Amino acid sequence: MSGTPLDFGDPADLNRLRTEFRAWLAVHPLPERHVDEPVPVFLLRWHRLLHSGGWVGLDVPERYGGRGLTALHQVSVSDELGACRAPGVPRIGYLAHALLEFASEDQRLRMLPRMLAGDEVWCQGFSEPGAGSDLAGMSTFAERRGDHYVVRGQKLWTSYAQYSDLCLLLARTDREGTPHRSITAFALPLDRAGVTVRPLRAANGDDEFCELFLDDVRLEESERVGSEGDGWPLAMTTVSYERNALDTGHLSKYGLLVERLRSAVRERAGTLPDGLRSEVGQCYVDYEVLVAHARRRTAERLGGQVAGPESSIDKLLMTRAEQRLYETALKVFPEQLAEDGGEIFGEYLYSRAASVYGGTSQIQRNIIAKRVLHLPSSGRP
Amino acid sequence: METEEFVLVRDLLRSFAARFRVGSADDVKPSAGAAAQEALGELGLGELRRSTPPAATVQECALLAEEHGSLPLPTSLLGTVLLAPELLRLLGTPAAPGTTPTIALARDLRFPAAGSSPLVAWDSEGADEALCVLPDGTVTVSGLGPAAPGVDLLRAIRTAEPAGRVVGRLDPAGHRHWQAYTLIVVTSELVGAARSFVAQSVEYARERAQYGRPIGSFQAVQHLLADATVLVEACASATRYAAWCLDHESPQRALAAARVAKAEVNRSAVEAVYAGTQVFGGIAQTWEHVAHLYLRKVRVGATVLATTADLLTVLAEPEAAP
Ligand SMILES: Cc1cc2nc3c(=O)[nH]c(=O)nc-3n(C[C@H](O)[C@H](O)[C@H](O)COP(=O)(O)OP(=O)(O)OC[C@H]3O[C@@H](n4cnc5c(N)ncnc54)[C@H](O)[C@@H]3O)c2cc1C
Repeated sequence: MSGTPLDFGDPADLNRLRTEFRAWLAVHPLPERHVDEPVPVFLLRWHRLLHSGGWVGLDVPERYGGRGLTALHQVSVSDELGACRAPGVPRIGYLAHALLEFASEDQRLRMLPRMLAGDEVWCQGFSEPGAGSDLAGMSTFAERRGDHYVVRGQKLWTSYAQYSDLCLLLARTDREGTPHRSITAFALPLDRAGVTVRPLRAANGDDEFCELFLDDVRLEESERVGSEGDGWPLAMTTVSYERNALDTGHLSKYGLLVERLRSAVRERAGTLPDGLRSEVGQCYVDYEVLVAHARRRTAERLGGQVAGPESSIDKLLMTRAEQRLYETALKVFPEQLAEDGGEIFGEYLYSRAASVYGGTSQIQRNIIAKRVLHLPSSGRP
Repeated sequence: METEEFVLVRDLLRSFAARFRVGSADDVKPSAGAAAQEALGELGLGELRRSTPPAATVQECALLAEEHGSLPLPTSLLGTVLLAPELLRLLGTPAAPGTTPTIALARDLRFPAAGSSPLVAWDSEGADEALCVLPDGTVTVSGLGPAAPGVDLLRAIRTAEPAGRVVGRLDPAGHRHWQAYTLIVVTSELVGAARSFVAQSVEYARERAQYGRPIGSFQAVQHLLADATVLVEACASATRYAAWCLDHESPQRALAAARVAKAEVNRSAVEAVYAGTQVFGGIAQTWEHVAHLYLRKVRVGATVLATTADLLTVLAEPEAAP
């Protein structure tokens, strides 16, 4: 967290990129979602269309299928999508960062271009029934047998596994060592013999997450990501990127709703209770603070800083903004509760998950206390 | 300024602060304030915003204000060094030779209202007149009355004559710039205060032991400090972004960002100091401890220029076109 002035601004070439992207969007309108088409399938079509125009993975080096630009370029694309009410950029940034940092050159050359193109869809298999917050308690085991591994265990909450081709899987490779050295990452093809994917219905009715059963699944050595024992730092890198509002592309989604609430305040001036008016003002403040904070992080990132434990601060600010926003939206549009139960209500339910997924709010506080403030440890956890 | 140059200036202010910081409320004496203010004057920081274009950016001024807030200092860096010189620069008039202006606020410390309401010369250590910007952009200068007791023990306040002599007028863009700049400078000082106080309480949590272990190892204490850290970082991001906007964007956009920053700081700097105070336990409740100097600063600061209610009402609706 830098103490000297930061450049929050867009370098000049960003405006060119924005203009170019707007022009592209004008001739490539958002595809229609077919009746009964699951949202993830629709989003994948959108992902592929964006990729065909070169709008995915802007900050990934060219030799891996990206454009070799910066995080800010990626953010601008996300911004422009928000401004035209299109779905956000495909959420692959954090997985791509994990591969960039830990995969072998051969794997990067093979996997990243296909991930960016949407030819291979990835999901994240970290959590287990017995290992949620305490990832170190994971029991899925990958036993080494000569040149390959045999994996047995169960994963839980694996978002969109039923629509995915590959899973970034964490498994123990050593029963003895400390958890931080005995977990290893793999790229697991979900059509491999012994893998069962069972969707779970979420509270908002969506079929987002899944259970994954792994029954003596054979994984080749070449499917291991990083070295044996690299699973823990890989997981930490992944979740650090997953916790920044910029990397998840949520900002534009919030921005649209905040503006909707403010317009409603203008249109219904006088009829809204005073308290609700300030609550909308507070939503705007939370959102704008989050934008400023995300810009500051981007400036730091451009200055060479990699995502680390301070992204837990970002995650808590994002959660604060999101949960207040949807809570307030239900008050400004009460019909959502009375009769409609529409899209805002669905998003409201999902906003309650913001303090759970990607590590709960308590876990973010633990991380800040230990790894940002360096407060003394109380032993495990 | 070049980065190295700025770092030098900031280090200068840092060693000044280490030397003149107040150890406890008992050290807050008129003589100590006057001596510190004189030493501050010798640093020559008042020149930073006097020329056009200014020697220091708004971002740099904001960071200096943050620095000033981080230790308990009885000096009027904001009023006499950062704010009044900027106002004179915007007006294109030099200060009358031999005078040191500060700025005037309404009696409740908000932006001055129209008419000849009672005024106070805010942050008036070492000042001998006060510049007042009225809602229509008219700028007046007032003579100073006696010291007015303030709740923020580190902030010198004097009464000011209500109807001052008109010295100029800010155009609408200049007026917006002025409001944004004042909000940013005041907000930055509060960010510095909250950040530093939280850091001090983190230090304390590492050392203070109860039940045979440092209190910082208790999860309840850790979460309190983690939340305070989140609030401080939110304040810093919002305030520094607003300062950047004033350097690079239209005054209209900068004013919107500055209002957001003040609204965040009004709420969060106070919350962060509450958390720090809680971590200090009983000791923070004593007159001798610095905790109440910080609490006074942020609690009063949350009402200075614009209160949360003022700001949220404006921010609840989309802005009208300029
Ligand atoms: C919508 C959604 C999508 C998800 N997608 C994925 C995915 O794609 N891949 C994946 O791997 N996982 C995914 N997850 C799982 C998610 O990461 C876990 O749910 C989360 O880490 C919490 O684990 P848990 O549910 O087992 O709760 P638990 O760990 O059992 O926690 C229960 C409660 O105890 C508290 N608690 C636990 N330990 C501590 C502690 N040390 N200190 C203080 N409090 C503590 C928690 O904060 C929480 O309040 C998803 C979750 C959701 C809700």
